[in-house]
Amino acid sequence: MNDQLIDLNEFQLSDEELFSVVDHDELASERITAPRYSYWHSVFRVFFRKKINIVILALLAVIVVFAYVYPAVIGYDPEVDPFMNLLDSESKHLGPTQAMDKFGHNIHWVLGSGAKGESTFDAIWYGSSISLSLALICALINMTVGVIIGAVWGFSKKVDIFMTEVYNVIANVPYILLISVLVLILSPSFWTMVFALTVTGWLGIAYFIRTQVIIIRDREYNLASRCLGTPILRIATKNILPFMTSVIVTLLATEIPSYISYEVFLSYIGMGLKDMSLGKLIESAKDAMSTRGWELEFWSPVAIASIIAVVLYVVGQNLGDASDPRTHM
Amino acid sequence: MTKYLLSRLARGIISIVLVVLVVMILIYSLMNKESIFAQDPIFSKQKLNNKVVYQYQQWEKYGYLDYVSYADWLKEQLTAGAVSEEDYSKVVTIGKNADADGEKTSEFVQKFTEYYESKGYEVERLPGITRAGTKKYQEGGNPQLFAYKNIPVMNRVWDYFTGIITFDNIHYVKDELGERGLSFTLFDPAYGGEKFSPAIMGNGTKHKYLLYFDSQFPFIHQNFMKISLGTSYSVNQGVDVFDTMTSSQGAFKTSLVTYPTGLVENSADNLHTATYVSGSLNKGTVVVKDRYVDDYTSVSTYKNGFSKIGYSFVIGIISVAMAYVIALPLGVLMALKKDKFIDHLGTIYIIFIIAVPSLAYIFLFKAIGGSFGLPTTFDMINPTWLMYILPIISLALPSIANLMKWLRRYMIDQMNSDYVKFARSGGLSEGEIFRKHVLKNAAIPIIHGIPGSVLGSLVGAIITERVYVVPGAGNLLTNAINAYDNGVIVGVTLFYALLSVVSIICGDILMSMVDPRISFTTKKGR
Repeated sequence: MNDQLIDLNEFQLSDEELFSVVDHDELASERITAPRYSYWHSVFRVFFRKKINIVILALLAVIVVFAYVYPAVIGYDPEVDPFMNLLDSESKHLGPTQAMDKFGHNIHWVLGSGAKGESTFDAIWYGSSISLSLALICALINMTVGVIIGAVWGFSKKVDIFMTEVYNVIANVPYILLISVLVLILSPSFWTMVFALTVTGWLGIAYFIRTQVIIIRDREYNLASRCLGTPILRIATKNILPFMTSVIVTLLATEIPSYISYEVFLSYIGMGLKDMSLGKLIESAKDAMSTRGWELEFWSPVAIASIIAVVLYVVGQNLGDASDPRTHM
Repeated sequence: MTKYLLSRLARGIISIVLVVLVVMILIYSLMNKESIFAQDPIFSKQKLNNKVVYQYQQWEKYGYLDYVSYADWLKEQLTAGAVSEEDYSKVVTIGKNADADGEKTSEFVQKFTEYYESKGYEVERLPGITRAGTKKYQEGGNPQLFAYKNIPVMNRVWDYFTGIITFDNIHYVKDELGERGLSFTLFDPAYGGEKFSPAIMGNGTKHKYLLYFDSQFPFIHQNFMKISLGTSYSVNQGVDVFDTMTSSQGAFKTSLVTYPTGLVENSADNLHTATYVSGSLNKGTVVVKDRYVDDYTSVSTYKNGFSKIGYSFVIGIISVAMAYVIALPLGVLMALKKDKFIDHLGTIYIIFIIAVPSLAYIFLFKAIGGSFGLPTTFDMINPTWLMYILPIISLALPSIANLMKWLRRYMIDQMNSDYVKFARSGGLSEGEIFRKHVLKNAAIPIIHGIPGSVLGSLVGAIITERVYVVPGAGNLLTNAINAYDNGVIVGVTLFYALLSVVSIICGDILMSMVDPRISFTTKKGR
């Protein structure tokens, strides 16, 4: 066979072009040439694939700007501004056109004036900032506490027996009673309301998370993982939490509007905040609803509360859909 | 299964007791006692010592503490014969302060103090406040002596639960009233004594009729056992919560009534509810003497409306039925036409209901309904069936959305599961898969919720009932909270807790009946 060897010189190439000696590189051998994958990057890619989400987010941005920036820009003072025209009986319950004729054509009077002669438009946005803050803070506290306790509750069987009984008792104490007692003990201020809504509010979320954790906990892959000696904390954070992300986001989407709705409800039955939140505005204008020409005072805070709730809900739901890795194809 | 249910029931009862305990701690220990006087016009008119005494008297009525005044104690001693008439008149007025008491008075004051302090009471003496320079007391400045004791929570809970059910007995009446005993009659005297209607009547019992028939649902009634959930102080004064919730309301309904004296009259009196009031015949007016022969003179009246629970239940149950009838087909349709037009339309409706504050859409329905000419408030004097329409719709629409949402979710989850793919590959038709497998499995969690929604309609709806002025049970709790009516708060809470425990158990039973795979008893050998 030896005489059949090819003489490399007959190709007339230099040595480098034929062969070169390569050193063994450990780092390079570990490299995977698949495209980089980032979970949250994919979530937002899927989220923005739907054009409706961009519209909704823009709407949300407008609401946030009006609720938080607008009152600050016009220097709205809740102690002074609602009572500006209190003594002027001609300025009360005006429609938009009348109000604009009286006070000049500016943005404050596009929704007319209320029972105290105040600008409905300004009052609504100040109220929105209170209601939004309340909903966001309550949702943040309840979700954090609820998810952490729910996870522990789902994992430990001992905790489960104890917590289920606690849940049975506390879930049966009427929520209205608890809130009203707390509001009576303390005062109906913003932080009291936050406390009242969160002191047992996390329990429902924790119970929901517990059920989800139990469902996933006993799946085969987790059983296998446990057999291979993965610590519980690692199972919780690496095996279960990714599954829960979409559930948690979806839950958040229903939680935030529910606090806005609940705040309106509490104000209506006379147990709400003392600040002029959206609920309080709706409650104080409920008599204006059935009076001809005054309807705007009632329907405009209702409309804003509804729009805020719907926008937050839709954003949350779509984000929840997008955060499910199965939609990332 | 029975054993399991019993243990579930026992645990349910324990959790109900704990709920009542928590509520009692909330309202009696955590809440400021002073706050009940915030809207009390009588309180603001009281002065000095009288104000303090008034506070204690009110607190006793609301159930916060036990309060005994020196005068009450003396009167009790007088009726018991421990104090002579002569001594009583001498010692009943106390001096400006302890030093100013007479010898005899201070002896009795000493006795009073020792007696109540030994029973764990706090004895308090408020010295009299005189006008400057004179010996006359200022208005409300009379000296006061009384004892009070806070009731411990455990005693309160124990007393409450032991007092829920009371049995009527022939030794109830303390007065002399002839031969005590029960008698059975086939011809109820309340109908004139000729119509066949069996009844058990008592003498010496609280109620005159212990068992009787009449034309009101459920036709047979008893008074042997009485349920009392807590007496109202301000919402419906002196009446038990259970009676407040279950007694009928509205205009009087008259019929021909034969009174015990034989007088026949067109009246709304319900003679079957006659209870004993000591000495009422002798002290009574001509009207009473013309009609009654004994002291069983306190009767309630027939009214043409439902009770509070009745109204809530009628509205609730119709809306629940409507919700299931409408939502089930729609939810199924949404799942079948997933991502088609009908699904999107349904989703928009669901989002609307979830996200818009309930107050807002109830007002919206009211405005829309009103523009069609439907009555928007409840008229108790001239009731029509039309006035039920708007409350029922307002209650049904949100539950339709909720049911649709969950049924769609369950159906889609089932349709994506492996056994459906297997059934399809096995050659089953889509219709067959759908009817026999998907729908059956998806319906199980929905069925679990049925007892809850049926029993839940007894509770009533707060906003709907307020907006449409329905005289239902929904506002009882909020009214009681606003009026600090502690007895009613505890009673209503117990009722809610009982309903929720029972409805969860019923739901589980129903679920295990529908789906034989679900069993609550652990099988042996497993």
